[in-house]
Amino acid sequence: MTAPKKKKEKRIGLFVCHCGVNIAGVVDVEKVAETLKDYPGVSFSTNYVYMCSDPGQQMIIDTIKEKHLDGIIVAACSPTLHEKTFQEAARLAGLNPYQIEIANIREQDSWVHTDGARATKKAIKIVKSHVEKALQNENLEPIKVDVTKRALVIGGGISGLQAALDIADHGYEVVLVEKNPSIGGKMIQLSETFPTLDCSQCILTPKMVEVSRHPRIRLLTYHEVDSISGFVGNFKVRIRKKPRYVDERLCNLCGECEKVCPQIVPDEFNMGLSFRKAIYMPFPQAIPGTYTLDAEHCLGLSPVRCGKCKDVCDKKAIDYDMKESFIEEEVGAIVVATGYDLYTMQALGEYGGEKYEDVINGLEFERILSASGPTGGVVRRPSDGKIPKSVVFVQCSGSRDTEKHNPYCSKICCMYTAKHAMLYKHRVPDGQATVFYIDVRTGGKAFDEFYQRAVEEDKVLYIRGKVSKIFKEGDKLIVWGADTLTGKKVEVEADMVVLAMAMVKADGIMDLLKKLKISTDINGFLAEAHPKLRPVESLNAGFYLAGCAQGPKDIPEAVAQASAAAAKVGDLFAQKELIHEPTVVPVNDELCSGCGICIAVCPYDARSLDPERGVAVVNEILCEGCGACAAACPSGAAQQRNQTDEQIFSMLRAMLRE
Amino acid sequence: MKLHYYPGCTLKEKTTALDISTREAMKRLDIELVEPEGWTCCGAEYPLTEEKIVGLAAPIRVLRQVREEGGDVVVTTCSFCYAVLKRANRAIQQDPLKHKRINAYLRDDIKINEWTKEKTTGFEDYNGEVKVLHLLEYLRDRVGYPRIKSRLKRDLKGLPIAPYYGCRLLRPADEMNMDEPDSPRVFEEFLEAVGCKAVDYPFKQECCGSYLSVSLPAAATEASYRVLRSARMNEAKAIAVTCPLCFYNLDHRQEAVKETFLDFPGLPVLFFTQLLAWALGVDKALLGLKEHSVAADGLFDAHQAAEVRS
Amino acid sequence: MFEPQIMCFICKWCTATAADMAGTSRMHYAPNNVNMRVMCSSRIDPQHILYAFKQGADGVFIGGCHPGDCHYVEGNYKTLRRITLFKIMLQDLGIDPRRLRLEWISAAEGKKYAETMDEFTEQVRAMGPLQLNEKALTSEVTKDE
Repeated sequence: MTAPKKKKEKRIGLFVCHCGVNIAGVVDVEKVAETLKDYPGVSFSTNYVYMCSDPGQQMIIDTIKEKHLDGIIVAACSPTLHEKTFQEAARLAGLNPYQIEIANIREQDSWVHTDGARATKKAIKIVKSHVEKALQNENLEPIKVDVTKRALVIGGGISGLQAALDIADHGYEVVLVEKNPSIGGKMIQLSETFPTLDCSQCILTPKMVEVSRHPRIRLLTYHEVDSISGFVGNFKVRIRKKPRYVDERLCNLCGECEKVCPQIVPDEFNMGLSFRKAIYMPFPQAIPGTYTLDAEHCLGLSPVRCGKCKDVCDKKAIDYDMKESFIEEEVGAIVVATGYDLYTMQALGEYGGEKYEDVINGLEFERILSASGPTGGVVRRPSDGKIPKSVVFVQCSGSRDTEKHNPYCSKICCMYTAKHAMLYKHRVPDGQATVFYIDVRTGGKAFDEFYQRAVEEDKVLYIRGKVSKIFKEGDKLIVWGADTLTGKKVEVEADMVVLAMAMVKADGIMDLLKKLKISTDINGFLAEAHPKLRPVESLNAGFYLAGCAQGPKDIPEAVAQASAAAAKVGDLFAQKELIHEPTVVPVNDELCSGCGICIAVCPYDARSLDPERGVAVVNEILCEGCGACAAACPSGAAQQRNQTDEQIFSMLRAMLRE
Repeated sequence: MKLHYYPGCTLKEKTTALDISTREAMKRLDIELVEPEGWTCCGAEYPLTEEKIVGLAAPIRVLRQVREEGGDVVVTTCSFCYAVLKRANRAIQQDPLKHKRINAYLRDDIKINEWTKEKTTGFEDYNGEVKVLHLLEYLRDRVGYPRIKSRLKRDLKGLPIAPYYGCRLLRPADEMNMDEPDSPRVFEEFLEAVGCKAVDYPFKQECCGSYLSVSLPAAATEASYRVLRSARMNEAKAIAVTCPLCFYNLDHRQEAVKETFLDFPGLPVLFFTQLLAWALGVDKALLGLKEHSVAADGLFDAHQAAEVRS
Repeated sequence: MFEPQIMCFICKWCTATAADMAGTSRMHYAPNNVNMRVMCSSRIDPQHILYAFKQGADGVFIGGCHPGDCHYVEGNYKTLRRITLFKIMLQDLGIDPRRLRLEWISAAEGKKYAETMDEFTEQVRAMGPLQLNEKALTSEVTKDE
């Protein structure tokens, strides 16, 4: 690395723009050009009515060539508008684009001041500072880095599956990692989906099959991401393969093992409403189609083994000696589609979710409604299997609560509650469905019509008010609420209560995110780069977000977001190589003492200590050029390219000295 | 040890049973309850008026007196007093205007030296130095249930008691900070510590209507009925309260309840300190049972509880 | 009348955009300031601030993004800590710490930028010229040298 450049005799050109009367109406542009004609370093100075116009640009190009200029200042409008324009013009003239300086004498001068004389004085100061900077600007080349055109998708729910399919259909390889024994996420647990009342499993399973058959998708179920290193375009991922104890290639789903297994475990797929064995298949359409041995609940694998399942396996697919192993994958982009969980009913003690079996959450009700669920699709209540004649649905359970629970709206509950109430009425026509709501939010396509159907056709009773308490009296659940529209307290006797619990960040996500080092918002959902304009990217380059991991949303939105994330990944992969702004902060080895302060200060982990040479090293691709390390460096070894301390001092001198 | 104790007006006038049983129970725990000299009414309610400052002068004066007597803790057994004292204490610590004005009111009180009878004025500002605790809290946090259990003289054999929290003890939650307002445990834990079985019933925090005693007595009757009925339905032998106003309403009102709701046979109402005293071996005559409208004597017969061999 | 010189370091992502917005909306303010655009307010070193005072600035202004909004994640927090400590140093150096102002101005707050410029200009005007160099040259200590 070289020492900071000394000011050489550069030939700087100054072009002061009138911008019609926008600048010239207040600032005496001719005076500015005239005054600075003889400033040290300025070889050429002129003014023109519209620098951004074609003739204006041509003038710049011609002048650079004729006068052999090493750098130019365009004193005009804000750089946010035409910096690229003039950089392009300079490039055409053979000048390095980083030798262009834009002096803002419009938005920050002529447009905000009325005193022409003082505005002109200020313009001169501003231009002088840019001349000083230009005299020390170096030629810079954008940093180029290769991109590994393979993607990692974390999560095998609808969002992960959609993103994987889209990326793979683009022609790139995808590694899809899912921690559960099968893909399908939460959507596979649903009975019907709003607003069409499509059978959820019927629309999801074809996608699941497509993923499993896709030649470019490597499906890794029962795997978890262990660690990630590297940077955008060049990630190295370590993935842990959990031992299934069943060889999925050999298992033929005969089910004999399940029959003989003596261990009974609450079935998580059915939300604990039924039981499974320790060796099990989560649901019939599971992909991959194989049994899995749940070691945690198995009677024992070592040293004493029950062994019953292995004895009856014809295919010899069961192997108790399987061990955890690790795989390394290299990818260029990572899509995080890790989904959500439901807020725990324990937090709402007053609703009795933990106390009473018949107070359930939305996913439990989905399993009850499901034809493949624990009750075969007949609506029965969990405690005694009775068909409930009165069901109360409580919206906003744990959502929209700024005092104790989650302040945000979980978005889907109004729609799925209407769906639940409708489906209940379809199956128990003489039953009473009552919904307690604060608002009914039905913003999607055909959503409001769906809700009106519930009210008008299926005669679901909607009461506007919150529920304060739910308790059992004899055989019934008493629900206390309010009817705010009549101003009265309401007491409903129910056989069963369904709570629309808030959608919260997925359990165990924080551990994963620490490994990924991507940021979350205040509620634990993944933070998007910009709330309005960049909804599927993370601020951490190379990471993309899809689905409920980024925030509560319904299936159509999740699919849209997944495809959007896939498109962004496509953007990344379409580039031959990644171009990174070179205005980063390199390390001057000669001055660096290896104190490590810059390393601690960098928000992008771009700097590290070279143990052999005892100096800091910077990964220029990760460095975003914020300059925090430059300010923190005690020896001046960290200097930002084209905004070094020397440049800053020169600029200050020029601007402030009379 | 000596402990400052603020009884409040009701305990000295209407519900002396609570006062007596409290003193006796604490004696058994080697604690002598001392009332701050010249204590006055606390105001009974945290100011709801437009003028929110003047009403705090009385409770702060009580707390200041405790400080003057060298105490840093004051316990009370009345939930209303507890709420007022605790919230006034917080207000003076958090609001500089209240701090300034109330101390200005109280600064010129006259101090009379007990021995020399010399009068002096000018107290130092009160800054919230005294901590206000309800006796339930004190027993849970400062005495500890193990110590209580070690002093038990009678085994109450799991007498099923329904704990009634009332309205003042736990709310507003961020100011009272005594327990989880929606699913509290402090009273249940106390009952278990003294050898009773805490009955779980849904009305343990519901309004008993005592506020409407004068303006709309029918509503108060119905509200009390619902509380008592729920306790009964869940097999409680008695309902225990922490506040003299709860007691007054649930106990004295039962006659009106029985007249309106003919199927209601009645349910004894007890103070938590009566159970504590009884379990610690205090004599039945010192429990103030004569004050009860609904006879509670039957629960305190010798055969109901066995002597505990210590 | 004394016209103070205000040196403004403004961060590209937030304050500079707000300054531009003030311009686009034609909000007028006192012409006493000169701006230097930096990528992040955390680029500003106490050296730069002292140098600015030395070169003739009567007041120094630093504009960054609101906490939580920094384009570089946490730069503004670093600036906050730095400036808080540095103000104490300024006091020890005999410079009124009120001459250094740190303000969070988001890209949408053009009006706030204009108002702050006016306010700060008046504040510094009331404090009078700093004249750091002149004072150093005429002080008893340096006279002997």
